[in-house]
Amino acid sequence: MITLSYKGKNTFLEAVNKKSGSDVLECYQCGKCVSTCPVSNFMDFPPREIMQMIKLELKEETQMANSTWFCLTCSACSGRCPREINIPAVMEAVRHLAIEENFHPDSKQVKNIRKFHEIFLDMIKRYGRNYELRMMAEFNIRTRNLFKDMHLAPKALLKGKIPLGVKSVKSAKAIKKMYEMAEKLEQQNK
Amino acid sequence: MKKVTYFPGCSAHGTSEEFDLTVKMVMKTLDVEMEEIPDWNCCGATSAHTMNESLAYALPLRNLVLAEKLSNDTMTIPCASCYQRLKVTKVHMDENPELAKKINTTIVEEGNYKGRVAVKSMLQYCYEDIGLDAIKAKVISPISGMKLACYYGCLLTRPKSITQFDSPEYPMSMDNIVEALGAKAMLFDFKTECCGASFSISDTDIVLQLSGKILEMAKESGAQAIVVACPLCQSNLDMRQGDIEKKYKVKYNLPVFYLTQLMAMAFGFPKEKMMFSKHIVPVDGALAHIGEVIEEPKKPAKAKKAVKAESEVE
Repeated sequence: MITLSYKGKNTFLEAVNKKSGSDVLECYQCGKCVSTCPVSNFMDFPPREIMQMIKLELKEETQMANSTWFCLTCSACSGRCPREINIPAVMEAVRHLAIEENFHPDSKQVKNIRKFHEIFLDMIKRYGRNYELRMMAEFNIRTRNLFKDMHLAPKALLKGKIPLGVKSVKSAKAIKKMYEMAEKLEQQNK
Repeated sequence: MKKVTYFPGCSAHGTSEEFDLTVKMVMKTLDVEMEEIPDWNCCGATSAHTMNESLAYALPLRNLVLAEKLSNDTMTIPCASCYQRLKVTKVHMDENPELAKKINTTIVEEGNYKGRVAVKSMLQYCYEDIGLDAIKAKVISPISGMKLACYYGCLLTRPKSITQFDSPEYPMSMDNIVEALGAKAMLFDFKTECCGASFSISDTDIVLQLSGKILEMAKESGAQAIVVACPLCQSNLDMRQGDIEKKYKVKYNLPVFYLTQLMAMAFGFPKEKMMFSKHIVPVDGALAHIGEVIEEPKKPAKAKKAVKAESEVE
């Protein structure tokens, strides 16, 4: 097994380590994370392989994999990792680097997940809080799947499970400003 | 009378209104006055930390700063996801003042973060600050006879470094509370498995598989119902249960209660006030078990003797 890495400046490994606050080189490939991860069977590469790919500087392959988008940040893996690596933070670091550098995995599932998050953040930007019904409707429209979950609609709406409106925040301006400032900070981080 | 700051979270005004309502009923009974954070905003949930690190800190930070304007030194949050985001932000800001300063620039008008207010989930607040004895003292109509699987989900006890509460593998706080209410908490191995969370909308198949396994294990434990303390867990296990039964050709019929609904019932509030009508899986079957006598399996007498013999040797 290859465990050597190109440790040095400006490597993918260094970038991930810096962003995650963990040292991926600590990983000794035991695979405990894979057996713990509830979504590893949906991933192109399970967490253990992602760790090895980072060590081997397989940047593009790692960034284009759906793995980091499927991570639920449930922290089951890191709780059991014998090397105490914060694996969800590593997954997140890889994902954030991918967003910054415009890597777009082709899979439809990843595109949907990404769209969902964009719509969710858009709802908060507009209302300061999540408008659940509108979020679901926009997701269906933007993913061109109008009838998704429609079988639940009569039950969920009639029973009042999902209310029709939203109580938005009063200081909408403060939220908009926060979004602008956060975007600036993200640009500085690049 | 205790006082605590309250952060309801978006779902309290949406899918989990009944959670919010029963938290208020329970806290009032337990002599706790809750003060809602004025003009709180969404914590950003999974989406913010998936897409934008700065925003993932900024959204919860505004709530933390607003909470510091109230005089209470503890904040309690019913939603597990909100709790996780606010607690992560608090821990990271407290550990790294430089980062706190940087993120604070996004909310200049609200003021500076000081780190004065402790952040606790509703479960943690009930367990640590109120305590089992105080809960027991308020029980007037025990829910004895109910067999329950307590499901914590991933965010209430994990990661340990953030939550500093209960066990990340096999927590017992909720089990102890339902036992204090008179019910029987079953041995349940999937207490902290993930339900699939927000994939409910973006990739439903994942939720059907993950939540399906949790329902399967809960059924196997002998439980008549599941107890949760998280709005997303509730809606995945309850609203998606029909889809799961259809996909895997099984029948569970397991209602999913919020812990506070059961607490309020045991505290003597009438059933009609729990908003059970919002539940997709009907709850009446499980509630009908209240008052039944659960027969405990007899412990083998021989094994006991053997233990005694060993201690005598010592």
